[in-house]
Amino acid sequence: MNEAIKVDGLKKCYGGHTVLKGLRFHVGKGEIFALLGVNGAGKTTALECIEGLRRYDGGSVAVQGRMGIQLQSATLPEHIRPMEAVRLFAKWNHAEIDHTMLAALGIDELGKKQYAQLSTGQKRRLHLALALISDPDIVFLDEPTAGLDVEGRVSLHDQIRRLKAQGKTIVLASHDMAEVEALCDRIAILNGGKIVFLGTVEELTAKVGSHYTIHIKTETGDACYESDDIAETMLTLLGDFKQKGIAVLDIKVDRGTLEQHFIDIARGNEA
Amino acid sequence: MSAFLYGVALQWKLDIRSRALLITCYVVPLLFFAVMGGIFTSINPQAKDTLIQSMTVMGVSMGALIGLPPTLSEIYGSDMKKVYRANGVPLYLGLVSVFLSAFIHLLLMSAIIYVIAPVAFDAALPVSLPAYFGSLALFTAVSLSIGCVLGLMVKRPAKLTMISQIIFLPSIMLSGIMFSADLLPRFLQVIGKLFPAAWGYDLMAKGGFSLGSLWPLAAILAVAVFLCGLMLHKLKSEA
Repeated sequence: MNEAIKVDGLKKCYGGHTVLKGLRFHVGKGEIFALLGVNGAGKTTALECIEGLRRYDGGSVAVQGRMGIQLQSATLPEHIRPMEAVRLFAKWNHAEIDHTMLAALGIDELGKKQYAQLSTGQKRRLHLALALISDPDIVFLDEPTAGLDVEGRVSLHDQIRRLKAQGKTIVLASHDMAEVEALCDRIAILNGGKIVFLGTVEELTAKVGSHYTIHIKTETGDACYESDDIAETMLTLLGDFKQKGIAVLDIKVDRGTLEQHFIDIARGNEA
Repeated sequence: MSAFLYGVALQWKLDIRSRALLITCYVVPLLFFAVMGGIFTSINPQAKDTLIQSMTVMGVSMGALIGLPPTLSEIYGSDMKKVYRANGVPLYLGLVSVFLSAFIHLLLMSAIIYVIAPVAFDAALPVSLPAYFGSLALFTAVSLSIGCVLGLMVKRPAKLTMISQIIFLPSIMLSGIMFSADLLPRFLQVIGKLFPAAWGYDLMAKGGFSLGSLWPLAAILAVAVFLCGLMLHKLKSEA
């Protein structure tokens, strides 16, 4: 595979505490790759080591291409206006300002608002725009939708998909399995500084198995059934209701999102 | 170069938008000048001879020691520095642009005092304009360099305010701008000499570059620049 990033045996210690214990993975060009883990799993540290913002104590990191970085804890001077920040960063990167990208992110709409007056979503979009200023090949996004409302998340997800369509490689850190499920080609789940799962969302699903919860509403009341074989259970249940002459009003099937599987793996209590 | 100049110009605009810096660089020093200028010259007519210098030393000290450090602390005490690094902006830009911007603001404030004092209080103009503004520029640079050390060194705002005041108040009280330093006990005179305000005032009041006042300022500047470089290097390697 054409690799954009290769991480081999990455180690990082703070004092006597080892937070990254030999991470090993690669990210293909044009891929959306996620580092997942609960808070404190080492996602941000790993990302910052790859970005070159943090020194590491062992292993190697190879990055092929120009990087654009959106930090989790990003902040700017409170009186700066969005376009002033864009111009400043563009000048330091010797980059032309891409007004199409700014329009897509809604930066030009922010006008003369100062940084401190922007909402969380607007700040996120601005930091994403700053990360994209130099037209990077690889975009790093650390918890990109943290603190955003539903509309903001959907909008940012669209932006991320657009970046992928442009052929950019995207690496994101998240603790939101639903977000990762919706966006990513491959994921690595971190627990205690180690990768405990590396693969696609489908592979994760296959690894943890499929468990379903069936909610059925009938004229006599509601009922809930657990099943590992959805087809068989549904056929049996519907056959029973029909035989007893009970009208079925509604059926809802929960596959069980990957969220619980992720939590189990990330916390080291894989079923 | 264009990026650097844009950074400095932008910082200058941000400083104008920031009420805190506007207050410490213009409002308080000029109000102090308006009130104390009248009082000083009424009580002691001889104060007119050094009114411009004393009011300027007070204003520059306030802007440099109280106004500048919080701006630097905002940049280097937060993750803003990481945003700069992540996006290709060099770490020193914040320090240099804040320094240059404050330098311009303080020179403007000093120029206002220079123009108004003779009209409002019949204050005497310095003998040599180039020597005066040369001395002022050096004193301003030295004071700002101390402000830079404070802004880089102290991360917590409350602690920063306290330390700034601990340096600012003796600078003003012991430098000789409020009353002659000769009236102070010997040990307070010695303490006063530790601060650039005493040497800056001396240099500007004498109206020429006297080596006796020049070298202490140069020494303080050199130490402050060294410390700033050291702290920037530390910040860079903190990762």
